[in-house]
Amino acid sequence: MIYRNLRFALNSAWQSFWRNLAVSMAAVLSITLILILAGINLLVGHAFSQVLDGFRAKVSEISINVADGTPLQSVYDFQQQLSTDPRVSGVRFITKDEALVQFKADPNNLVLAQQIEGNPLDAKLEVRVTRLDDVAAIDTLARRWPGVDPTNPTNYQGDFVNRMLELSSWLGVAGVGLLAILVVVSIVIVMNTIRTAVYHRRKEIEVMKLVGATEWFVRGPFVIEGVMTGLIAAAFALALLVIAYEPAVDRFRSDVAFIPLSYDPAFVASLARDLLVGGALLGALGSYIGVRRYVRL
Amino acid sequence: MRYTARDLATRALRRGPSQQETHLMVLTPDFDTRPVISFQHVWKTYPTGTEALRDVNLVVPEGDFVFLVGPSGAGKSTLVRLLIREEKPTKGKIFVDGIELGRMKRRQLPKYRRKVGLVFQDFKLLPNLTVYENVAFALRVHGEAEHTIHSRAAEALDTVGLAGKENSLPANLSGGEQQRVAIARALVHAPRFIIADEPTGNLDPATAWEIMQLFLRINARGATVVMATHNREIVDLLRRRVVAIDAGQVARDDRSGRYHDDLSKSQIRAQ
Ligand SMILES: Nc1ncnc2c1ncn2[C@@H]1O[C@H](COP(=O)(O)OP(=O)(O)OP(=O)(O)O)[C@@H](O)[C@H]1O
Ligand SMILES: [Mg+2]
Repeated sequence: MIYRNLRFALNSAWQSFWRNLAVSMAAVLSITLILILAGINLLVGHAFSQVLDGFRAKVSEISINVADGTPLQSVYDFQQQLSTDPRVSGVRFITKDEALVQFKADPNNLVLAQQIEGNPLDAKLEVRVTRLDDVAAIDTLARRWPGVDPTNPTNYQGDFVNRMLELSSWLGVAGVGLLAILVVVSIVIVMNTIRTAVYHRRKEIEVMKLVGATEWFVRGPFVIEGVMTGLIAAAFALALLVIAYEPAVDRFRSDVAFIPLSYDPAFVASLARDLLVGGALLGALGSYIGVRRYVRL
Repeated sequence: MRYTARDLATRALRRGPSQQETHLMVLTPDFDTRPVISFQHVWKTYPTGTEALRDVNLVVPEGDFVFLVGPSGAGKSTLVRLLIREEKPTKGKIFVDGIELGRMKRRQLPKYRRKVGLVFQDFKLLPNLTVYENVAFALRVHGEAEHTIHSRAAEALDTVGLAGKENSLPANLSGGEQQRVAIARALVHAPRFIIADEPTGNLDPATAWEIMQLFLRINARGATVVMATHNREIVDLLRRRVVAIDAGQVARDDRSGRYHDDLSKSQIRAQ
């Protein structure tokens, strides 16, 4: 019986979609546009989060300068303490000599390196912190350690990291806000489309209710029509986005070289899933709301 | 103490049931002819403030055939709409087949509507469906299997004398034929009640009479029929139970009644 009802609903959704083809196509196109915007939003969000991840990896490393003359045992103890800290994912000890070698190897320091006499550099503990939010705490910890170089304790730049964190959370909020607006707009579009379909079929609905159709029996075809609209739109949007994704990334990379944007084919699968599921849900929800008043027994 | 069905029906019909009796009738299932419809002090006030029904009491035993008559605006259609739960009573209770309609959940409404066959003045056929599909529709909505739908729809169309017209569209049928389709649709799920609101209102007298024969036949097969009508000749000819509604109240309830009672006739004569 559920199967028969489903077949009835599919049949009449299909018929209704084609009977009001102009309205249906207008809805499909509008939702395609919206889903393209949503897709771009997701892609840009993804690209930024890739870029941000790169930055994060960099700023979540902090190097602690060791004061000259600190006993090696004390440094090892502190290294041990850090590496057992759950917030820390790795600690590396760099001796004064290694630090000097590193310094000299950097082509940016070419001029400076020639003027250096002896070894003015500190030995360092390079600490990789798992979460960006915890870097500040590790920095505080390091500054309290007696073996730290008091004139130049760490390379931590709290301001920069905080601004980064702020930026990324604002980007997240903006993305979510934009998505929310797009969701609302597309629900309204589906709602109005389905209202048109309902209006054409109000007599049929009245008769259905009088002969004992359940609310879901009446609603089913419209919800399915909404889902159809959403899925078709999602398929269009997805096709266009997939075609445009790689060239757009290439273009961007050549124009704005300093932001390391990259093409991520794995993301296309998740984009496809999001758009199709999203389109179907938007369609279902829009028609559910659009048909509510007429369906009520 | 146990009433016989006839006792009950006669009492109820003569002077209207007391609340105690209706209560007893509704809750006692083992009568030969149970009262299947009962209105108990039913009031209906529309949101506009119109008092369409005022303290209506009515008992219909199973298998009865009831004409609702009365002037335009008396409240007949309102009574019908309450009976099919398109509207709820403002006050009072309506029992059909032991269920209080005012308390029925929306979820239960489809099941209730399937016990009832509805016929309207304007037929309410779907213009883009064939005769067969219009009748089959009522079963399709219930999720019946296709072969069941087919045999039952064919039988219903045969009953109303439309065998052979299955593939016509309603627009190509006469008013009488369209009403037959509507009756076939009302019959097709073998309902225990047939409720009709002016089913002959749009038909010429001869066709109206044919349609009325169909209702009588359905009634003879056991369905309880409640029909609002303005068709004086038919009501007077058939001498069935007549409930006259006037200004929202039951003005008269006669076992084998006429469209007008004697008083109003003498008034008419006097004028
Ligand atoms: N949906 C409604 N909203 C407000 N008032 C209504 C509504 N339906 C009916 N009425 C009013 O209720 C009263 C009874 O109307 P109803 O349709 O029940 O009369 P009726 O006996 O069926 O009349 P007719 O013989 O003309 O069909 C009338 O005064 C009418 O105007
Ligand atoms: Mg009426």
